[in-house]
Amino acid sequence: MSDNIVHESAQPSATDKLSVSRRWMLLKLGVAFNGLIGLAVATPVIRYLLSPVKKDEDYLAWVELGSLSDYPVGETRLATFINPFRQSWDGATDKVACYVRRTAENEFQIFAINCAHLGCPVRWFPQSQLFMCPCHGGVYYADGSRASGPPERGLFTYPYKVVRGKLQIDAGQMPTFANTAKLVNIENAKGNSPCAG
Amino acid sequence: MRLRNVLPAVGAFAALLIAGCNHMPGAPRAQELARPEDQLDFTALYKTNCQGCHGVNGKNGAAYDLSNPEFQALIDDENLKMIVTLGMPGCRMPAFSRQAGAMLTDEQIDALVKGMRQAWLKPAAFGNDKPPAYDDDQKGDTAHGQLLYGSHCASCHKDSPQQQVTSPDYLALMSDQALRTIIIAGRPDLGQPDWRNDKPGQPLSGQDVTDIVAYLGSLRNPASNAAAPAAPVR
Amino acid sequence: MRWVKTAYNWLELRLQLEAPIKEAALHPVPRRTASWWYVFGSAAFTLLLLQIVTGILLAIVYAPTAGEAWNSLNVLNHQLELGWFLRAMHGWGSSFMVAVVIVHMMQVFLFGAYKFPRELTWILGVFLLLMTLAMAFTGQVLRFDQDAYWGLGIGASITSRIPIVGGPMVHMLLGGPIIAGATLSRFFALHVFVIPGAMLLFVALHVWMVLKLGVNEWPMPGRIVRRSTYLAEYNKMTHEDGVPFVPVAFWKDAVFSGAILAAVAVCAVVFGPFGPGGQPDPTIIQAVPRPDFFFLWIYAALAYLPPSMETPFILIAPIIGISVLLALPFYASEGEKSWHRRPVAVLMLTTIAVSWGVLTHLASFTPWSPHMDAWSGDPVPVRYLQHATPLVRQGAVVFQEKQCRNCHALDGSGGQRGPALDAVATRMTTDQLIRQVLQGGGNMPAYGKNLSPAEVNALVSFLETLHPANQQPAADASRREVESAQSSLGSAPAK
Repeated sequence: MSDNIVHESAQPSATDKLSVSRRWMLLKLGVAFNGLIGLAVATPVIRYLLSPVKKDEDYLAWVELGSLSDYPVGETRLATFINPFRQSWDGATDKVACYVRRTAENEFQIFAINCAHLGCPVRWFPQSQLFMCPCHGGVYYADGSRASGPPERGLFTYPYKVVRGKLQIDAGQMPTFANTAKLVNIENAKGNSPCAG
Repeated sequence: MRLRNVLPAVGAFAALLIAGCNHMPGAPRAQELARPEDQLDFTALYKTNCQGCHGVNGKNGAAYDLSNPEFQALIDDENLKMIVTLGMPGCRMPAFSRQAGAMLTDEQIDALVKGMRQAWLKPAAFGNDKPPAYDDDQKGDTAHGQLLYGSHCASCHKDSPQQQVTSPDYLALMSDQALRTIIIAGRPDLGQPDWRNDKPGQPLSGQDVTDIVAYLGSLRNPASNAAAPAAPVR
Repeated sequence: MRWVKTAYNWLELRLQLEAPIKEAALHPVPRRTASWWYVFGSAAFTLLLLQIVTGILLAIVYAPTAGEAWNSLNVLNHQLELGWFLRAMHGWGSSFMVAVVIVHMMQVFLFGAYKFPRELTWILGVFLLLMTLAMAFTGQVLRFDQDAYWGLGIGASITSRIPIVGGPMVHMLLGGPIIAGATLSRFFALHVFVIPGAMLLFVALHVWMVLKLGVNEWPMPGRIVRRSTYLAEYNKMTHEDGVPFVPVAFWKDAVFSGAILAAVAVCAVVFGPFGPGGQPDPTIIQAVPRPDFFFLWIYAALAYLPPSMETPFILIAPIIGISVLLALPFYASEGEKSWHRRPVAVLMLTTIAVSWGVLTHLASFTPWSPHMDAWSGDPVPVRYLQHATPLVRQGAVVFQEKQCRNCHALDGSGGQRGPALDAVATRMTTDQLIRQVLQGGGNMPAYGKNLSPAEVNALVSFLETLHPANQQPAADASRREVESAQSSLGSAPAK
């Protein structure tokens, strides 16, 4: 049976003749040279890794959502579009859904599908005029303002414009708290409380 | 020597395992539906979309008794499909089709209509009688309707608050077509008779039904059906 | 069998592994540590090996692209002989591994094994736990279905809340502006190369230290760990009252590992593989995303946090939690090991375990989520309609059609976001019901603008009928007074 349980290797061999020798100097030089070259090669790789990081406006483009006649006035409809920054191997994930609410002939609200809480897909219920989120129970009124649940704010909206009878929105990025600068905050809309109405 | 005895046993056991593995309880049976719109099974569609209001197996629900064979015989495919597709204006039946902003595709609605027919449409539901038409655009005679209501309906729908169908709020939630359907085909799950048996021996004519509906419509409080911001806060 | 010995000698002459292996295997451990309590670490290692083997077997078929991953999983499930079984083994193996790692950690904590000189072993163990959880999460992502897709969305949303660098970090996480092909590819790299590589390195060091520092002795009340004397005491203990690790302790490890493997296999055979669920198409909005078992507690916590506390909590709590775990062996590197003398430690462990259990249990039926199909799929209980007037019946229709059922259960079915309404009439008077419906409040949306007066009246008259037969509905005492006064005056009572 072996008894070597405790290795006391804390005794430095003070008489290490090689510690100051020329060979050690050369080794240090070699390691330093290797490190330098490694650093020089690796630094550009950081840029490779950071390549997805772009400014928000670089991830925005006008996307067409179809003709105005697809969206009856006074109703909210689900619309889908292909993300403008797609890759060929994205499969179905390059598709994006959003809700188009047409409030008047030329007035729209385009809501992101993502709940303002943690991004789950909200579902529109025309009967009760509510958006409900299946994840943590966020609920929004028809105008996108928060009705109840954990979200801190209303639904994210996309900027839109009407070009030659077609609805276009400025989209391209998954809406989150980090890029809402480009998305209009509708916190001020005050729900459907009969008191406010 | 021992090894020689064990090896075949181990081999047989392994072969058994491998052969039996695809019949294990955990082995996935059918591929899950890739998309919700691929669901074309009537039972599943009815369960998620209809039975909340119309009840399990189409009866004893809050809303109309779809399993009533007389109803199934009264309404044609086209009208049934239109109601599922676009809803029923004037009452609570919502639209379920994509074109109306809901979830179901045309194929799914066809599957629902076909499934309802298969499950609940019975041959010769009316025997030898010919029912009044499903719908009628004629304007009814309110006074005559009131008389008929008194003779054919009031024996049950009178005095007892349980049977009160003349409440303006109730009528505000029921369209003329919905009332007409109930008067003609009845609601067997509630004991409401069809047009032949409101007063036994004196079946209602199509015009009679129109008149009764007109009478009930005149009791309806039109103001109370508008989605009003000025809801009464008592 | 002489050729075996010859071959062995030939190899041993060149490899020279016999001596170090013998040393590691036969090193003495304290007698009482040859216990069933000490088997979790080796079980976790066995599960890691199982995950590597099954993972490689799956990787030879799996297509790591967003467009095809889901299809290849279905091929594994349905078309390849026993593909489903390997997926099930890998999936259940991961669940067991997370569980065993956590149990191992709890045992180490309870036995004070993180104390001097095993601080670094504990710290590496903390990182191994984090990596195990990271493997569980990235593994869920590779099962590229709707849960995976929206789980990534939740991850991105949480990341986006980090101040200043949140945006760039979301881009790094997703590999672009949205969850798409680049996202799956980078999670594949993490799950298959980066984390397993780091894990193997950490496991090697972790095991090395266990062998070098010896197995933690059985904690005895009153046997105090002191930095100055511990090594000598431990040395003495193992030499005077020790047993060789192999076979005295190791046979229990071997048996337990085998039992765990058998349990994984039984679960795999009986319950089958996890998913894949629906196709990861973001336009399928009928998705109801749920995280895997070991993240359910986070899911529950996120539902219950008040909105104002949420961002600080999500960002700060993990940092604090990990820091506490890392600081623990430095804060308490000496002293009592026995749980009999460490009430705070036992209490903490119990609290954490109970909280975890409660949150996980809650997340298994998500009382905070609306049931999206309840309004159209959960029938109104027949007994509530038996004696209903036409108006009450229409009220029940309104109740369903306005999606009240999505949040309010009747007879046990329906959402649990709001209170069950089976006896609501005993709690609220007519006026209170009307007010609640119109104005909402208490986490309920206001329906004022979406209901006509007739709908409100019908709905409230339905709700008024919801009380047990032997219990009167709630009534406003003053209203009764007014009405009786009015009727005694002969004036028509206003409804």
